[in-house]
Amino acid sequence: MLEISGLTKYFGGLAAVNELDLDISPGELVGLIGPNGAGKTTVFNLITGFLRPTKGKVVFNGRDVTGQKPHFIAKTGIVRTFQAITIFANFSVLENVIAACYLQAKLNLGEAILHTSSSRKKEERVLDRALEIVHFVGLDTPKDTPARSLPHGYKKILGIAISMAADPELLLLDEPLSGMNAEEVNRAIALIRRIWERGTTIFLIEHNMRAAMNLCQRIIVLETGRKIAEGSPEEVKANKKVIQAYLGTGKHAT
Amino acid sequence: MSKRKLIKPLSYGALLVVLFLLPLFIAQPYVLHVLIMVGINIILASSLRFIATSGQISLGHGGMVSVGAFTSALLVMKLGLSFWASLPLAGVATMILALLVGYPFVRLKGIYFAMITLFLAEFIRLTAEQWKRLTGGVAGIIAIPRPNAVIIPGLLNVDFTSKVDFYYLVLVMVVVTLLILYAIESSRIGMTFFSIQQSEFLAESIGINSSSFRVLAFSIGCFFAGIAGAFYSHYFTAMSPSSFGFLLGINVFIYMVVGGMLRFYGPIIGAFILTVVPELAREVKEFEPFVFAGILLLIILFLPEGLISLPQRLNRIIKKRFSHA
Repeated sequence: MLEISGLTKYFGGLAAVNELDLDISPGELVGLIGPNGAGKTTVFNLITGFLRPTKGKVVFNGRDVTGQKPHFIAKTGIVRTFQAITIFANFSVLENVIAACYLQAKLNLGEAILHTSSSRKKEERVLDRALEIVHFVGLDTPKDTPARSLPHGYKKILGIAISMAADPELLLLDEPLSGMNAEEVNRAIALIRRIWERGTTIFLIEHNMRAAMNLCQRIIVLETGRKIAEGSPEEVKANKKVIQAYLGTGKHAT
Repeated sequence: MSKRKLIKPLSYGALLVVLFLLPLFIAQPYVLHVLIMVGINIILASSLRFIATSGQISLGHGGMVSVGAFTSALLVMKLGLSFWASLPLAGVATMILALLVGYPFVRLKGIYFAMITLFLAEFIRLTAEQWKRLTGGVAGIIAIPRPNAVIIPGLLNVDFTSKVDFYYLVLVMVVVTLLILYAIESSRIGMTFFSIQQSEFLAESIGINSSSFRVLAFSIGCFFAGIAGAFYSHYFTAMSPSSFGFLLGINVFIYMVVGGMLRFYGPIIGAFILTVVPELAREVKEFEPFVFAGILLLIILFLPEGLISLPQRLNRIIKKRFSHA
């Protein structure tokens, strides 16, 4: 489904991502982990077009999407969330999701001005879908509350709801659990699993190691822009290089 | 329909009737002139806010007015078109210019976009001043014909020799402009503009082509600036490259901010008050920019959401007082 080969990104002289190869097959739930500064978010930015790679290729469903604009990539079926809270802060929860159904509601200036019956029907369908998504993620909040006044955990969930509204085939989640308390983490993990069970392929970055190990079938470990390990959670946990990357080589520790 | 739902359309209807009948009671040309200026400024401030809904501030609206004014004047004087054709064509020409410059401009965000629109306005003025054969250079164009008479025997006889006729023309233009802007803003396209305003990254990530939508907002806003310019030139019957431009663009921006950008009616209130108040103090007209700047600063400091938030603000203050007592 997603094939990345030789992906490289230089910031000045520094290689944030270096000759990265990875494949994701339909229906997988893959984790991307690594110490701070390993280049995980850069990988997401390169896949989704927020950054242009220096070198390398991103192919999605047989189509070369390297260096395309983010909105184009979203249209092909890859949608990402952001590590920091990224929502439409002045919209209500429902409005956030309705706005995110943009790709489903084909726009037309004439229809918009005249409020034709076909445009009203389209809007009704979008509203139904948005309500379904809000309900699915469990964010039924009072109708008029602006999203900015939601608690942190809810905002993160709303970020996921927004990405779902864009109807991705492949969903990239950038640290979906960061800043959540234990109860919120459990709920979010259950939500991610339910999204995956609905048939969305998921690729996620996570700092919460236990959560990543528990969620993902396959884990890719990145250090200073290079892939140092890949495999099932058990294999990765036992990998020497991974232990070194996270805990150091021992020379200084003793 | 419930009673509550009826109140809004009824009060708008009543307001329209009052505005329609107004010239019967107020016939002084001076008062009508002020009302005409209020109308044009409402069109300008509202269309500027329309651009701002997609998260971009233009300080070059005055330049776009200039383009519309020259286009219409030249179409009528050089090509012999009727005003009724040149009015929409001036809007279209301004819109085309906005489309052409829009694509490179929207690469810039925030204050940088505002700056480049300001430069564009100055560029338009300088070009017009140099292009003497077409625009008459610094001196400009005089004897621009008034709008062609509209005569429907037995029904309508409008020949634009009195201010009343212009008043009605502006009234129609304002109503049509506001209806169109409101319809777009409350549609899904408007929602997409607001999405981009709140987070361009997030909008892009869900498939919104933010550049295209920003160009769309910019060019629709500029269309109405062009229309307003066309009206201006045939109303004043003379114009020069410096008639509109830098200062007008800034003033329109001030109308919008002082009235309040967060609501559709904010710029309408702002344009009304800041057009009428200076007329009451005509003796000190030359100090107008200072007064406007002062008002702008006071609003930004004490009422950042504009005059439209004043009732709410007062309400809160009164409630506080009572709860203390």
